[in-house]
Amino acid sequence: MSRVLATYNIKGGVGKTSAAVNLAYLAARGGAKTLLWDLDPQGASTYLFRVRPKVRGGVRKLVHRKSAVEKLIKGTDHERLDLLPADFSYRHMDLALDAAKHSNDRLALVLEPLRAEYEYIFLDCPPSISLVSENVFEAADTLLVPIIPATLSSRTFEQLEELVRGGPQVLAFFSMVEVRKSLHREVMAKLRAAHVTMLGAAIPSADEVERMGVDRTVVAEIAPGGRAALAYEALWWDVRRRLGAPAGAAPGAPPGAPPAAPPGAPPAHPPAG
Amino acid sequence: MNTTRTELLLPRRMTTTAVLDALSSRLSLDEGTGTQRDRRYYDTFDGLLRAAGVAFVHESGRLALVSIDDGVERAGLPAPEPPERVFAAELEPGPLRDALLPIIEVRALLPLMHIHSAQRGFGVLDADAKTVVRLALDAPEVVASPNRRLALAPRIRIEAVRGYGKALTRVRKTLIDDLGLTAADRSVLDEAVIATGATPGGVSSKVDIALARDQRSDVAVASVLRPLAAIMESNLPGTIADIDSEFLHDYRVAVRRSRAVMRELKGVFPAEQLAHFRVELRWLQQVTGPSRDLDVYVLDFDELRSGLPEPSRSDLEPLLRVLRDRRTIAHREMVRALRSDRAGGLRSQWPAFLNELVTMAPEGRPAAARPIGELAGERITKVYRRMVKTGRAIDDSSPPEALHELRKQGKELRYLLELFGLPLHPGEVVKPFVRALKSLQDTLGAHQDREVQIATLRSLRDEVSTLRGGAGALMAMGVLIEHLGGDERAARAEFAQRFASFASRSQRALVRETFSS
Repeated sequence: MSRVLATYNIKGGVGKTSAAVNLAYLAARGGAKTLLWDLDPQGASTYLFRVRPKVRGGVRKLVHRKSAVEKLIKGTDHERLDLLPADFSYRHMDLALDAAKHSNDRLALVLEPLRAEYEYIFLDCPPSISLVSENVFEAADTLLVPIIPATLSSRTFEQLEELVRGGPQVLAFFSMVEVRKSLHREVMAKLRAAHVTMLGAAIPSADEVERMGVDRTVVAEIAPGGRAALAYEALWWDVRRRLGAPAGAAPGAPPGAPPAAPPGAPPAHPPAG
Repeated sequence: MNTTRTELLLPRRMTTTAVLDALSSRLSLDEGTGTQRDRRYYDTFDGLLRAAGVAFVHESGRLALVSIDDGVERAGLPAPEPPERVFAAELEPGPLRDALLPIIEVRALLPLMHIHSAQRGFGVLDADAKTVVRLALDAPEVVASPNRRLALAPRIRIEAVRGYGKALTRVRKTLIDDLGLTAADRSVLDEAVIATGATPGGVSSKVDIALARDQRSDVAVASVLRPLAAIMESNLPGTIADIDSEFLHDYRVAVRRSRAVMRELKGVFPAEQLAHFRVELRWLQQVTGPSRDLDVYVLDFDELRSGLPEPSRSDLEPLLRVLRDRRTIAHREMVRALRSDRAGGLRSQWPAFLNELVTMAPEGRPAAARPIGELAGERITKVYRRMVKTGRAIDDSSPPEALHELRKQGKELRYLLELFGLPLHPGEVVKPFVRALKSLQDTLGAHQDREVQIATLRSLRDEVSTLRGGAGALMAMGVLIEHLGGDERAARAEFAQRFASFASRSQRALVRETFSS
């Protein structure tokens, strides 16, 4: 049975897609069959994997389970990593969900036939509070929440915890961190002290993350061993640890795959507290 | 046809470079990093995995069971080094063990082939530079020994990328229709086995000889006994090396079948040699007997133990120790006998005799020239009738020996049916007959096995009692003896019904019709 992880934040432009794409890549590289569902009508992760943003039958057929979801999946350039692409019709997903019975757990139902096949299913969610996010909270076991360490981020985090109370596990991590900014360092220290669900790993604001859109691939291929690549590895290790997965390499790790252990000291990880 | 993986062979005289050049001019290719692969394949001595359509392979620190036709992994486990030998029961509990155990049961997986290959991987790209099909060019070679390598034909593997069926069809069409590549009809493993001069599928312990009813009996008998002698020979090294329990088992079955043929079809042999070889083969049977009995004991130990309530199961450990020690001693003694001059002489004399049998003088071999259909039919009818008679005389007051005797006759009949009945008579008659016989034999076997187990447990009591934990073990053994006695009575109760269907009027008529003509 798969683990469903959703990268989610009410706000946009905080590194959700980047996290979903890079973490899903690392999960697959570690040996796990992994699916990423690009729920965002803008189709950023679909674009990064060079797949056409097209779902035959559109969102209506999909959420009403009139399309065989297995047939809509596309293999990516990476072994064991598949994509359920975005489609422009996803912008009407709220309406489609609203028109369906059990409108809160439609997405969970769509995923049902895939849960035996994939060890991890990542949901890359559009920023909003809507029926789509309600569905995501229903379908996901864990929400991965990227947070930019700025003044209002603590408030964002608390709002979110309030929103999903009793729902999925929430794991937040810092994103687009600029360690040279003292404000970032202060906010991070404060939030880490206040929230146990705040992960230790943090993703730096780095060129290679921005280059993803140009090179259309994951940071591990753009700058292997670079700051961002190492930070995502540390984050994935941290997430797995919180999920209760063994911290070593997953069974089935291909030869040469690095163990899922955290690299020495993630560069964007200032001392907490 | 869009299978997820296809392997293609290059046409004669086409080099891999030529294929790549031709492909590059038709498709957009992106070459990935090359890899060196070292695959070590395993199978049982008798090729059980291949027969089940799977292969067991060690590659890059991992053991896996893969389907032969599409290469898809069914189950796997990390294993840093290729093992020397694998028993399913000794693997850690999990999918690999679960997948292997029903196929190979107690047989050992032994190293079969080591294939090294240099592989180049390519992505076929679409207009967005997205990989839509994967290709791998593989140049395999068998590592026959550290300094001997045999090159095999290069292969191109096409791997589908999910959701890109049209691209897959296009690439297949280019390779097959335009460039003339053909689907490989043999796995690379089979190719490797053939390259080393062996036959894929391992060494079978089954006899599958075509016979004709009007064939001379001595010719037919020799053609059945020769493969049995070959089975004994091929299973001897594994028996001596104690690789797994089936070598000895198959060896003994071949000996027993050979003895049954000699006993039942006496008239084709010269009397003097017959007497000699009957004594010698009986001796082989005897010297291998204790080892087999103890093999069965150790193999069945868990099942035996499961008859005890959970808390007392560990009490039986001292018994297992005694059984293992005895088994080691019995095996040593058996090996001594099998390596003796007497056994060595038999190994060469017996096949030589079988080769000469048909050219021997006809005097003193009254049945030699009779048609085998007639002779075997007579014997099958005779042994069947004898069984019916023996079985009918058995009632609730009969001693266990009576059932034992019936079982021995049953084995004789079964071998006759399998070796001569099936090749000479319609399968739709013989097969159900063999099934009815088998079901009767199972009951008789269960009865006798329990009987022997009880006797063995009793005989081990003194030895077990002297060991640490002996008192607990003795009590547990007492409970076991009681259980076994119950099973024995159940088997006996079942006997009447099984025998009735085996000896029914319709079955008797069928035997008369089929084998008396």
